[in-house]
Amino acid sequence: MSLLAPWALWFGLVGAAVVALYLLKIKRQRQSVPSLEFWQALAGQVRARSLFQRLKRWFSLLLWLVIVACLVLAVGNPVFSLGRVKPQSIAVILDNSASMTTVEDAESNITRLTQALEALQELLDRRPVDDEWLLIEAGREPRVLAAWTRDRLAIRDAAKSIRPHLGAANLSAARDLASDLLAGKPEPVIVMLSDGANGQVEKLAASQPPLVHWPIGHTADNLGIALLRVRSHRPQAMHHAYVRVVNASAEEVKSQIVFELDETTSAVEPFAIPAGGAWEKTLALSQPQGGVLRAWIDRADVLATDNEAFAILEPLKPARVRLVSNPREAFFFEQALMAMEPLVDAESSHTLLIDEYERAAAGLEPADLIIFNNCAPKELPRSGAFVFVNAWPVALGAKVNGVIERPTISVARRDHPLMQHLSISVATVTKASDVTLTERATVLADSTGGSPLIFLLQQPDLAALCLAFDVLETDLPFRNAFPVLLRNAVVHLVSEQQAWVRDQYAIGDVVEPLRALPGGIEQVWVARLQKNEQIAEFALPVRGGAFRYDETAASAALRFRIGDDTAYAAVNLTSEDESRLALTRAQPDEDVSARLALTGRLFSTVPWLALAAIAAGLVGVEWLTYHFRWTE
Amino acid sequence: MPTPLFDKDYLKKLEYLELIARRLVFGRQQALRASFKKGASIEFKDFREYTPGDDPRTVDWSVYARLGNLVIKLFRQEQELDLWVLLDCSGSMNFGEPNKFDHARRIAGALAYIGMANMDSAGVTPFAADLLPGRDRQRGRGRIFGLLDFLAELPARGETNLATVARTFVSRVRRPGLVVILSDFYGLQNAQRAIDQLRFFKHELFVIQVAAPWEFDPPIRGELRLVDVENGGHDDLTVTDGMLRRYRAAFEKLSADLRSYSLKYSIGHASARTDVSFDDFLVGVLQRGGLVA
Repeated sequence: MSLLAPWALWFGLVGAAVVALYLLKIKRQRQSVPSLEFWQALAGQVRARSLFQRLKRWFSLLLWLVIVACLVLAVGNPVFSLGRVKPQSIAVILDNSASMTTVEDAESNITRLTQALEALQELLDRRPVDDEWLLIEAGREPRVLAAWTRDRLAIRDAAKSIRPHLGAANLSAARDLASDLLAGKPEPVIVMLSDGANGQVEKLAASQPPLVHWPIGHTADNLGIALLRVRSHRPQAMHHAYVRVVNASAEEVKSQIVFELDETTSAVEPFAIPAGGAWEKTLALSQPQGGVLRAWIDRADVLATDNEAFAILEPLKPARVRLVSNPREAFFFEQALMAMEPLVDAESSHTLLIDEYERAAAGLEPADLIIFNNCAPKELPRSGAFVFVNAWPVALGAKVNGVIERPTISVARRDHPLMQHLSISVATVTKASDVTLTERATVLADSTGGSPLIFLLQQPDLAALCLAFDVLETDLPFRNAFPVLLRNAVVHLVSEQQAWVRDQYAIGDVVEPLRALPGGIEQVWVARLQKNEQIAEFALPVRGGAFRYDETAASAALRFRIGDDTAYAAVNLTSEDESRLALTRAQPDEDVSARLALTGRLFSTVPWLALAAIAAGLVGVEWLTYHFRWTE
Repeated sequence: MPTPLFDKDYLKKLEYLELIARRLVFGRQQALRASFKKGASIEFKDFREYTPGDDPRTVDWSVYARLGNLVIKLFRQEQELDLWVLLDCSGSMNFGEPNKFDHARRIAGALAYIGMANMDSAGVTPFAADLLPGRDRQRGRGRIFGLLDFLAELPARGETNLATVARTFVSRVRRPGLVVILSDFYGLQNAQRAIDQLRFFKHELFVIQVAAPWEFDPPIRGELRLVDVENGGHDDLTVTDGMLRRYRAAFEKLSADLRSYSLKYSIGHASARTDVSFDDFLVGVLQRGGLVA
């Protein structure tokens, strides 16, 4: 037998108090009577026939000591070992991911997490020896809730603080953490209280130290949005939304998914998904000004979290392109840019000389893309998107060694976005610069001799597409490849530079800016955009050019106002592992009790209750012995 | 200064009562009680022949007219009643709430005053292990205040021995009178011997058992050290519900035995519970018991 709460033995001192009280009780109270003989005559009858009367006092004391012992043991919460079980070091991993919020019993609103806590309680109650315990919460990042202890109450209390994490749990990281903390411990074992996370626990169960999976839950009737993504299509000024819905139940499910764009229904798509299958759909959304897309499944099921997802439609703003060139050499560039409307904002795009650019660089309106044609600034700008044609700043990391006559263009990266829809290898180039790259760059096209002709240099805040030849020394201006290349540059470089935050975050992720915020911005205003809720903005402080937003515990669309700019992000569960609720087992179910050497329960209930009942019964016996004639 | 037992108004109320003597008395002074002696009263007793020297006013002339003999009428002498109130002053009487001894001496004072107010002689004789100095043969209502003061200052202590008391009493008091014994009568067999002795000397007896509510139903329980208020002796007892049931039965039996013994020998009996008001006791209990009218 061992006690779950050994500190309760301190209550054993109550036994000494009982003896003391008993002695005080034996120190009789004085009571005057008019005739003692009269009472003695009565007492004489009792004394004459009761040997037990003399023993009663000590019998009563003995009963009270047994009662105290029972109560002390009851408070100590004993467990009994029916065999020889060695104490172990048990690291309990409690899965609190979104799938654990599945409602297993709708009437009593019992979730898998509640069942997991009950399982933990049972584990603590039924282990018959004095084990050492560790409790880990397997949320987005594993977290130790209770460090190594032999106090089971501490584990129980720590478990009470667990709250569901509405995202996916990192069970693998939790297992690694448990393994690290079990290093050097005797008889190590990991107990994972989880629904299996769509078979992830099975994969983890094979390694050492041994992992015992305590399976939780049985319900699988769930539809969930496993993925919702939006991609902007600048050339068509549209967005494409891709959605994937999975059916975790064992039957075919027919339902519908509703798409709302800025709280206005934009599409309703019916679907029928076979048991265990998935349904996918791509929608074209014409809202160049951007917005918040909310998709929700019109069917109530046991897991509500994955029935809703958000996505952000980035605003398709026309790019402001500045051309720095000699006007006589700018014609083809200007024509190409004008043809790009509405991708390019023609009104805010204009041409200027390199001298004008150098003089007024600081006072110029900001541009999304600057094209330098046959000229280059003396200093390399610290940030921005650039196209350098036949000249670039020395600091860029591309050294010109000489001239290559009539090089043949060879496309090195046809899959690169900048090279899409482009047929440049047939173009004729009279001469080009022989370039050696001193910085790491992506070569998109080169000469047959290996000299880069078109290459992309990317730094954290800077992207530069470089052409190592003068376009007027080629036939490119007469080919489609020239405007297409410029269009690709506008689409790819500008869009890459505009995003402040990612468009999608998992629940529990921290939202941080993708690049440093400009100086002078001291705070960022954040708003959660949820249906039927008033939008309340609150400020986030900016430190070191960055902010940090971590209130991503539930699905939502977020809006960040950064200076004059606005950025959007969606927080979603969208995890197929969480949506597929069917319980997977790492071991056969009956193995759990055997592997953990769990004992039976005394009188079909927990021992402390039985001991408390015995104590109550003994109090009754003591009362009867004192108050009734059969003990006199 | 001890609290007076009665005020004057209450004493006036007592004057309306009188003691009942069921036998002829053996008094010494002329009073209002019928006695064995012949004397001058209005109650006819007998005839006898006239002898010289008799008062010619007592000659029954109608008899002389019919028979020609001189006979005189004899009348019953009316004498006083000797009332003896034997008051138990042992420690056991100084018990209970209301106190038994306070109740007993009020009864003693009242009885003495009723007697004295009706031209009887009354005395209060306290006793414990033996007779204690008391106030004997007080006559005339004017002496009641001295008697009441005496009662008010009387202490209650020591043990009781009613047999010794009776022996001493009959050795002192030869002329039969009305003896009222006020006691709690613990040790009934001893008391019965004393009563038998008093009966033997022709005393008319009336016993009043004084008891406190506590004695009928003691509110005690548990592990107790019972201390005798008379002698300080003690005993450790576990007082249980069962023992209390037996105690109540035994106390009832004590009272019942005293009552049946009194009935058997035509002894007046009354039970004086201290929680019964004094008026109710005097008018109700003693009138029904035939001690006062």
